[in-house]
Amino acid sequence: MIDHISQANLNALADGELSSDQLSRVNDHLAACPACTSAALVQTLLKTNIAKAGQRYAMPAGLEERLKRLATSDTARRSRPSGRSAIAGWATAAAILLVIFSGLILVQQGRRRTELAALEYQAQASEVSDLHIATLAAGLGPQVISSDRHTVKPWFQGKLPFSFNLPENLPGDTKLDGANLTYLHNQPVAQLLYTMGRHRVSVFLAERRTGEPMAEKQSEHSGFKVTSVGVGDLDIVAVSDVDPVRLAQLVSLIKNVQTGT
Amino acid sequence: MTLLPWKREARKPGPQTSAFEDLALPLLPALYNVAFWLTRNATDAEDLVQESFLKALRGFAGFEPGTNFKAWIFRILRNTFLTSRTGLEATRTVALEEELDEQSVAGSGLYPEAAIDRQTPEINLMRLADRAMLQGALEKLPPPLLEVILLCDVEEMKYKEIAVVLEIPIGTVMSRVARARTALRKTLQTQNAQTRERGA
Repeated sequence: MIDHISQANLNALADGELSSDQLSRVNDHLAACPACTSAALVQTLLKTNIAKAGQRYAMPAGLEERLKRLATSDTARRSRPSGRSAIAGWATAAAILLVIFSGLILVQQGRRRTELAALEYQAQASEVSDLHIATLAAGLGPQVISSDRHTVKPWFQGKLPFSFNLPENLPGDTKLDGANLTYLHNQPVAQLLYTMGRHRVSVFLAERRTGEPMAEKQSEHSGFKVTSVGVGDLDIVAVSDVDPVRLAQLVSLIKNVQTGT
Repeated sequence: MTLLPWKREARKPGPQTSAFEDLALPLLPALYNVAFWLTRNATDAEDLVQESFLKALRGFAGFEPGTNFKAWIFRILRNTFLTSRTGLEATRTVALEEELDEQSVAGSGLYPEAAIDRQTPEINLMRLADRAMLQGALEKLPPPLLEVILLCDVEEMKYKEIAVVLEIPIGTVMSRVARARTALRKTLQTQNAQTRERGA
């Protein structure tokens, strides 16, 4: 009785994944076994056809340019000026150019900043909504389960490169359920989990590395309300399907407790 | 707080962006193609690529030079997809079955000994299967099998690279590839039979 080539090895043969020893044994077998040769041919044809059929969707025009612009602006925004003396040396020339082109440049920069800020805000809203949905979908309890702010806050010691305060007095039907350590843009952040009536709320606290604190903003993503605000070195972003006014109130409470107001 | 790993290395904006763009931009068409297959929607695919691109750019300081950038950025795309609403819906509606046991796909007895026949119905079917038929069969694959076959056949990644992207063992990659191809062949056979019936 001949031991035919296993399906796994036929796949590995088509995918070029066999070691030289295995390949040699398989080739010996194929030379003597028409059935396996047919099967190997089927796998190879299928692979070739799928490779062609799978190349189906062409990238829309303009996407690459937009991403290039985003990459440049994102990096420029994150970098801080260095070599002040060198900058000073060019200041006079730059000033002359600025006088001439100031109007045009300001308009262009303003437009670009607005576009970038809008895209970044959209990306942030999308990411926090996804994290909130993922938390709800996972059905797992918080990593630290407690309604006591004196338990939740210390839990983050050594886990986050910043600290924060939690409000003591919450509105009637609002309850702190606990918190998770999670990541936004590869940065560790605190995800505070609240319940408002039957609604679940995620409040993300992240350290701001650059830029001024952002003014309060509200938006909607995938049916969820997103409220963001900056205070000191912290960014606060809350997401929930609760009434946006109530969400803003909770964000405001958390914001105020950071400054002791 | 000076010992935290994400604070260790200062970012060097100019050269790093350029290095990142040099590596990432050529992969955009492939990322978009896979993103579209996963999301089944042009807008979602564009959002997915943009979000993954920005995540990769911001996390590029953590990428080890000399390691596989393609596998790294595809893993970011895939993880971003999984935490998106579309991704969550897709993964929740598909129950992951038991991984294929190597024994269950072993060929013993599968292929009767016979003279080689280069015109078997299945070989003919593979030769005649048109693009639309194959794309239809791909669309019917559940997401875990679709992603593995796209990475393997379309992106021509090695099993080891696919294991990195999907964060699964190589054995699981092999069993999923086998399951995906078996499912594709079955779908093609069914489609072919239906076409014949309609023609008869």
